[in-house]
Amino acid sequence: MKGIIAAALLLIATPAIAASQVEEGRYQAVLGDCAGCHGKDLSGGIALETPFGRLVTPNITPDRQTGIGDYSPVDFRAAMKTGIARGKPLYPAMPYTAYARMPDRDVDALFAYLKTVRPVRHAVKVNQLRFPYSWRFLMRLWNLVFFHPGTPDPANHTAAWIRGEYLVNGPGHCGTCHTPKNMFGADIRPELGGALLQGWFAPDLSGDPRTGLRSWQAADVAGYLKTGRNGHSIASGPMAEAIEQSTSRMRDGDLAAIAAYLKSLPAPAGSGPRILPDVERMKRGASLYRVNCSACHGLDAKGEGPLVPPLTGNAVVRQDNADTLVRLVLAGSQGAGTRWAPTRPAMPSLAWRLNDQQVADVLSYVRGNWGNQAAPVAADTVGGIRAALRGGK
Amino acid sequence: MSQDAKRTWSRRLLLASAAGLPILAAGADGRNISAELPWSPFAGDPPKPVDPLGWYFFTAGEAATVEAIVDRLIPADELSPGGKDCGCAVYIDRQLAGSYGKADRLYWKGPFLPGLPTQGYQGNMPPAARYRLALRALGEHVNTAYGKDFVRLTAGQQDAVLKGLDEGTITLRLAPGFSTKAFFEMLLQNTMEGFFADPLYGGNRNMAGWKMLGFPGTRYDYRDHIDRHNQPYPLGPVSIYSPMES
Repeated sequence: MKGIIAAALLLIATPAIAASQVEEGRYQAVLGDCAGCHGKDLSGGIALETPFGRLVTPNITPDRQTGIGDYSPVDFRAAMKTGIARGKPLYPAMPYTAYARMPDRDVDALFAYLKTVRPVRHAVKVNQLRFPYSWRFLMRLWNLVFFHPGTPDPANHTAAWIRGEYLVNGPGHCGTCHTPKNMFGADIRPELGGALLQGWFAPDLSGDPRTGLRSWQAADVAGYLKTGRNGHSIASGPMAEAIEQSTSRMRDGDLAAIAAYLKSLPAPAGSGPRILPDVERMKRGASLYRVNCSACHGLDAKGEGPLVPPLTGNAVVRQDNADTLVRLVLAGSQGAGTRWAPTRPAMPSLAWRLNDQQVADVLSYVRGNWGNQAAPVAADTVGGIRAALRGGK
Repeated sequence: MSQDAKRTWSRRLLLASAAGLPILAAGADGRNISAELPWSPFAGDPPKPVDPLGWYFFTAGEAATVEAIVDRLIPADELSPGGKDCGCAVYIDRQLAGSYGKADRLYWKGPFLPGLPTQGYQGNMPPAARYRLALRALGEHVNTAYGKDFVRLTAGQQDAVLKGLDEGTITLRLAPGFSTKAFFEMLLQNTMEGFFADPLYGGNRNMAGWKMLGFPGTRYDYRDHIDRHNQPYPLGPVSIYSPMES
């Protein structure tokens, strides 16, 4: 009799367990920002411009022919955590190097969720890399050399830090953009020290007082990830997408954990004041700033509350690499829009109004003023970025 | 059938069904509509600067005459360079070659009836055609009166001719509804536009008109100066295509 009751209870409970697993999997998809690369419907086809050529993201909907409909949970685990998808090595643009940190339970939940999304028939030619990178089997060698997943010693850390470290370096795979890469595309130090990717410079997230997050409070970090902006900055470009599809949907506790971890990152040694542009250049830059920038950013560069970011103490301004800044001035940009802050303030394009020298001068002024102390920008750099952007990227 | 239908929709029935409408409407669902603000990189629709060389509408003779006229309307003096050097004739030429010359935005089908002076020109010739007609008539008048072209007259003679046009002592053979005075006023108006419009339109070279006035141009942020009452703005002008002080 007891057995019958237990069996009946199990029958009732199974769908409930399955449903909660799918819900948990949906959250894992938020943490991992699957939609960021695989598209909102997860059917792939989004081109990632890597230094090795173009990779196009595959279809991960449960379509049997073109998606992952005939994967088993074991296949999926292997792909997510070892980078081997049904015997074929994946390219590490798929952050299996980070997802390897995820417990099997979470990966299985994610798989259960992916099984429930609408299957889309969409065949994608993934590998459009240049030779010899197009030789997939080389990735086995790459894995041997560069892929060493590990977990830091949790001793002496708070629960929030442990969770935050896991989210940042595990499913959140922040380092995919923010950690500099070597010539093989593998992470190098400093971790989360800022890196250039697809024409945007993902800023330094360390505790560096000039380029890093030293001046942000933990609440600023969490607020930025949740809403897309805080008093210091407004996300745009790839970070806006990451915020819209991933971090703005994370639980507040997880955002606080991420903030706690990021705020614990030390400042790398050897970060000192940089050279300033010459006086004549600063004069030209001041004139350009007054005429073109000050109406919104203010003559004191303090910005306008949540709508216009300040240029004083702004990490985007202070990065060693100015590509993002140049891009913002030339093409303009639209900030992140989240359900918490849906306005999407935009920076207008000034490409028609400022020539390369003028962009370089005004940015050198901004980077060399108000205590920013970032290196000047060369007109050639601006010209190169203008050509690349106009080339249709 | 139609007779029946009319009877069926009696006044009473219509009122009764109208009364029922709110009940139906109450059953409808509200909807949230949300969308993203449109945005694209390099967005912007800046005006295209005119090519400063050559003439697009005027013949060589017309251009020489108009250059001479604008140089008398705005003579070079201690306040500013002359109208010619400021590009006023180039400005007028480009305007006449463009949509202003054709008066694109106006209604150009008949009937063409005389109007009140406050209604402006009511005839069937757009500005380009009026300029062409009036410049030819002016040339004929000056050649008859002085035996040479307008550009060969002394500055004093040119002033006398322009004064005559303005004050009605000279009557050119123009068209119905297009008086000599109206031509002079159009010319003066367009010359002033050429002197004060943004340099990208061909006139106001080196922002001479703005410098004369102390107008700071296309700046849009005066917050650092807003409390300094009765003090001249200290910074020179900037134009749409020269976004810094020269």
